[in-house]
Amino acid sequence: MDIIRTENIVKDYILGKIKVRALNGIDLQIQKSEFVAIMGPSGSGKSTLMHIIGCLDRATEGTYYLDDVLVSKMPQSSLAAIRNRKIGFVFQSFNLLPHLNILKNVELPLMYGGLSHRKRLARAKEVLQSVGLGDRLKHKPGELSGGERQRVAIARAIVNDPSILLADEPTGNLDSQSGGDILEIFKDLHSQGNTVIMVTHDQAIASRAQRIIKIIDGKIVDGNSDS
Amino acid sequence: MAIPIAESLKLGLSDIMMRKVRSVVTVIGIILGVMCIMVVLAIVNGMNKSTISWMEERGGLNKIEVEQNWQYDFSKGGDPSFTLKEIRYLQSLIPEAEAFNPTVQEWEAVINKDDIRYSTSLRGVMPDFVKVEQWNIDKGRFIKDLDIDLYSNVIVLGSTVAKEFFGNNDPLGQTISVGNQQFIIVGVMEKRFMQTQGGQIGMGDNALEYMNRRCFIPISTMISKVNPGGKISSLDIRAKSPEAAKELRRKVENIVLNLKNGKRLFQVTSAKEQLDTMQANVKVMEAIFFLIAVISLLVGGIVIMNIMLASIRERTREIGVRIAVGARRRDIFIQFLVQTILITALGGVLGILLGFAILKQVGNYLQIEVVASVQMIWVSLLVSIGVGLIFGVVPAVRAARLDPVVALREE
Repeated sequence: MDIIRTENIVKDYILGKIKVRALNGIDLQIQKSEFVAIMGPSGSGKSTLMHIIGCLDRATEGTYYLDDVLVSKMPQSSLAAIRNRKIGFVFQSFNLLPHLNILKNVELPLMYGGLSHRKRLARAKEVLQSVGLGDRLKHKPGELSGGERQRVAIARAIVNDPSILLADEPTGNLDSQSGGDILEIFKDLHSQGNTVIMVTHDQAIASRAQRIIKIIDGKIVDGNSDS
Repeated sequence: MAIPIAESLKLGLSDIMMRKVRSVVTVIGIILGVMCIMVVLAIVNGMNKSTISWMEERGGLNKIEVEQNWQYDFSKGGDPSFTLKEIRYLQSLIPEAEAFNPTVQEWEAVINKDDIRYSTSLRGVMPDFVKVEQWNIDKGRFIKDLDIDLYSNVIVLGSTVAKEFFGNNDPLGQTISVGNQQFIIVGVMEKRFMQTQGGQIGMGDNALEYMNRRCFIPISTMISKVNPGGKISSLDIRAKSPEAAKELRRKVENIVLNLKNGKRLFQVTSAKEQLDTMQANVKVMEAIFFLIAVISLLVGGIVIMNIMLASIRERTREIGVRIAVGARRRDIFIQFLVQTILITALGGVLGILLGFAILKQVGNYLQIEVVASVQMIWVSLLVSIGVGLIFGVVPAVRAARLDPVVALREE
């Protein structure tokens, strides 16, 4: 079953008076429980594709089905619900809120999901324990190492039990040791049946995935064959 | 899956606590504006209260006064006085009046007993005087109808006059002379007192002391013996209610005008109408002060709006993250609007506290009575929340419209 299916996705940006085509006809299928790396040089359009898959941005043309639901025509408020329930983001620079402790950071998606205070506290604790930070709940992100921060970000991404986990250069700001640990977590999550999509420009990291999709100049050049 | 207001309140509060100094600086304009409203309301309350108590001390809002019209051009002829006959006729036309008292004044009468001489304002009055003025007798009795009919030589003293002559001794039954006439003292008036407001120089602390220096005799005795040819030039009437006083004033004015062949020799005023005029003046002041308060609140609101806009620029990435994890635009809008309102409400509360703190000082400095009321708290709180609501919309819309892709890229 395809969890993600796109047909002829085109994305244009207007920069001043020039139209820049970031994506030029992307047909992509990703199956449930796959671990996929999207690879390409910088400027290839891989981040744009990730934003569209993550419902943070809309395609200029084309259709996008997530879990067999046509999301490319959905209104903004419904997209917020999709992001909240079906997608977990992990960013290169962690994007934790620095003034909140890590427990609160992980609670954030649950709050927007409308969960009661008690339930989200319990769930956030549970997830933080699963990434090995159960004893650091009251710490602020600034008091943690890079690897630990990324683990908090992963906890936040999976706390709502999303359909897909989207990671954008998740090891880009980490030393190789912590980066390796993070990739192990992704592998574990994948082995538990999660769908993981990782965007990277690093061949070594991409090779940890089951399948590598290569993008150059807004087009898929390799890796979309086995669907 | 809207996040409830309670959640937004919690978010807003923690943001404010995190940026305490900035939050307080942000609301200085609001604090000043609210303090201004507090002080103005207290001053207006105080002025209204002291105006009303002044009126009440002078005989209440039911009182109507007929006095010589000083604006009348006497070259047109006419005598600004009433005869006793005219007075009786006038009284018969207004049976609805509760009390009715004409006065003949002798401004500089000299009273003496033994070696003591005292210059006083002597007034020939009728028994209704005590009702019209709402002024009770302290000792003895007041002038009676029989005294009028018999042209009796009886006198009632003001409390200060009684003290001048008799100290702590009982003046009742003693005789005293006014000019060449001997009078028997039958009563002493109650002392009138009202705290002087606004520090008028030379008034002492009792604004009504001039009343305690007066003496009263029957009007008939006044006209026939003490001041032959003395004229009845003023008349006080008491209506059943302040509203009835307005009505009665117009009626009396017409009767007096007819009596005097259409010449405006007298002016007829009602205390209620005077009070209305005075309160209208207070309203004008109130409006001016409120304008000042509104301007400072506007300035405060604009400052807050700009600080919130700056804060949103600073928090762009945070907003991006919130959107990425599922916040809707509405959630972001509410979060920032609630935060602005919380900040202005906080300013309002500080303003109210500081306002109460300086109220006494303002009162002392201006030497006027200031009266605090619960209404002041509500008005101030509502106004400060209103400012937050108005000036919080633009920053909140700006935050809610951020493009998450751009916001997440922001450093």
